[in-house]
Amino acid sequence: MGLYRFWARTRLRRWYWSALRPGGFPLEYTGTPLEKLLGFLVAVVILAFYIGVINLVLIFLSFSLLSAPGAAYLLTILGVIPLWFFAAYRAQRYLLARTRWMGLRFGLEPGAWGYALRACFHWFVTLLTLGLWHPRLRYALARYRHNRTFFGTQRMEQGGKRTMLYPAFVHVMIGGFLTLGAIYETAPELGPFFAALESEDFSKFEATSPTWRLFYIAIPWLIFGLVYYGVEGRKLLINTLSVGETGFDIRPRVGKVLWISISGNLARYGAVTVLAMVASLLLIAGALTQGLTMEEVSEGDPETLFRAVTQDLPGWLSTAVVVVFYFLIFLMWNVLTHVFLTMPTWRHYSETLNLTGTLHLAAVGQRPRDESREAGGFAEALDVGAAI
Amino acid sequence: MTTIRIGAAPEAYEGRGLYLDGLFAQPRKAELRIDEARRALAILMPGTDAVYWPLTEIRKLPDQSEQDMAVMRLAKDPLARLILTTAEDQEIMRVRATELHRRPPVEGKRRLVVWGASALGAVALMIFVLIPFLADNLAGLLPASGKRALGEAVFEDVRVALDRTGVDPLPLCEGPEGLAALQKMGTRLFPDQSEEETLVVHVLDHEMVNAFALPGGIIVFMRGLLEKTETPEELAAVYAHEVGHVRALDPSRIALRTTGSAGVLGLLLGDFAGGAAVLFATNRLIQADYTQEAEAAADAFAHQAMLDADLAPEALATLFERLREEYGEPEGVVQYFLSHPSLGDRIEAALAATPSDATFQPLLDGAEWDALRGICGE
Repeated sequence: MGLYRFWARTRLRRWYWSALRPGGFPLEYTGTPLEKLLGFLVAVVILAFYIGVINLVLIFLSFSLLSAPGAAYLLTILGVIPLWFFAAYRAQRYLLARTRWMGLRFGLEPGAWGYALRACFHWFVTLLTLGLWHPRLRYALARYRHNRTFFGTQRMEQGGKRTMLYPAFVHVMIGGFLTLGAIYETAPELGPFFAALESEDFSKFEATSPTWRLFYIAIPWLIFGLVYYGVEGRKLLINTLSVGETGFDIRPRVGKVLWISISGNLARYGAVTVLAMVASLLLIAGALTQGLTMEEVSEGDPETLFRAVTQDLPGWLSTAVVVVFYFLIFLMWNVLTHVFLTMPTWRHYSETLNLTGTLHLAAVGQRPRDESREAGGFAEALDVGAAI
Repeated sequence: MTTIRIGAAPEAYEGRGLYLDGLFAQPRKAELRIDEARRALAILMPGTDAVYWPLTEIRKLPDQSEQDMAVMRLAKDPLARLILTTAEDQEIMRVRATELHRRPPVEGKRRLVVWGASALGAVALMIFVLIPFLADNLAGLLPASGKRALGEAVFEDVRVALDRTGVDPLPLCEGPEGLAALQKMGTRLFPDQSEEETLVVHVLDHEMVNAFALPGGIIVFMRGLLEKTETPEELAAVYAHEVGHVRALDPSRIALRTTGSAGVLGLLLGDFAGGAAVLFATNRLIQADYTQEAEAAADAFAHQAMLDADLAPEALATLFERLREEYGEPEGVVQYFLSHPSLGDRIEAALAATPSDATFQPLLDGAEWDALRGICGE
């Protein structure tokens, strides 16, 4: 049932936290698996009613009023969005309440509904402006969170201006503009292109518009822009953050992060491809020993081959094989993501981080324990994608 | 190196560490000694009283990323920490503090059990009581166009779920003469279909011996069923049975129930297997696990529809009997028809519904029937 995920997540966090050593002192993660499990169960009790009824009523309304399935899915998602931001804030609060540095707890003031409200508003504007509002959104939400964050008794403060993330956003805008332009220019040919893509038959498709080449520039530029925005934006936010008299100086390099994400993705896709190849080789070998001819093997699809290989086995065993294989891929994917993407990125950020004015920290006192009973359970149940 | 000393006390340990009292963010350099009399670690700092940590109470933080540094804590003190930075200090701790890796006792087991039971209870209450109740009531309120849209959406999901790759929808069988034969069968069975309740019939290219109805009068036959039926009347009986479900709104209820339940189950399964809930949902729709009463009612509807169209209801009985002979106990590909233990009753009911003195008119000629059975092509 995947219950071990609470234990796995706890151990992973302890490990990651201990690897971060601002000023030479490791962070400590003090959360426990059981409180996570408990929080999750509490969230399930509350959400079961909400999700069940909301899902059903929204589906009913969209089909009876609009007769459109698309609207139904959209509406069910809309019903969960405020909850999603709420859960994200609560999860952050739990995370900070269980994080210590130099023996002191971090903390986040209550304010999840205010956060959800602001997030909904800013995302709405962002959608209306085709994403151009996103730097404002990012700053506003970061400011809301950071200004409610404490290290011990010391409140954090997000400095800077509301518009300060726009310089970091510039490459997204260029890439986005080029992509839109390319789509506009090639619009008459896009239909046939996707038809050819779907039928996997490109023989009839011919690109006549010279602007197709624009995509070769536009898409990589957009991807680069997104990474640049992520890294530079984080840098700007952290460098204008202060904890009393203590400031931050972080200097992540965009090239390095880009390299980590490219090589990391290559590594994990490569590994899964290798695994799939090994599996198909095993399948083919198995099918051959079961007396199938080479011709039958090359023509048979994976399912027929699998049936042929497992025909002498009881049904539950072949099901078990499929399930184990599925989880093997799933687990491998997770592990590789940690090893090749998350950890290197974290390490890079942490290596380039320096604290200034740390002398003043000595006066910062401890804060009381925040029970945070729900322990990120809402986020867990709603699958709010946390990195770890 | 193990040194055995006789008489004199063991060589005194002199170590260093950084002590964090957990009250202020101020690490203090500390001298470490072992106080043999107290069986404790003495943490000595200039300007303050010595702190004594009983050796058996010292714990090491688990799952730390690098071994160059070790962080110690006291079992019962949540705040104070002692950081050891040299290998010697860590080694002394390892040897002298015997319970370094002991886990903290589990707290709040009872609360966990209570909430665990509540969570299961809440989900069960939703899935078995509240959602069915809501779905049953809402199904009757859906307008015809809404039912059709719901049915079409579900049909797409089913086609994708049934496909081997799980990506492309399963192909439809659309041999033109076969479709014409199906059309003829539909018109014969239900000559007066109102505009908004027109029946839509599809054949899916799948070996499962199955047929199912979806909201909005969408009837789906699988190729496997066409291969197992021997006369047009047998297929017509299944057709009429499915329409019986449609008229009773059974598919709409199930579809609404399933969408509600899928969301709730998705919660429980979390990110680990989000797809499992969807799979479960479509599976339930195909299997259409109706109650015995619903099946009996759909059968009765089919008997009447067959009689009205001058067709023999006993066709349903001959089909069921053959399937039962062929497959024996309900399992595998015929789960749909044989999912109810009362198959014998259903056969008898179909036979009883057929008057002995009645005459019947054939439904399709040989060529039409062949075209229908070959609707999926080669």
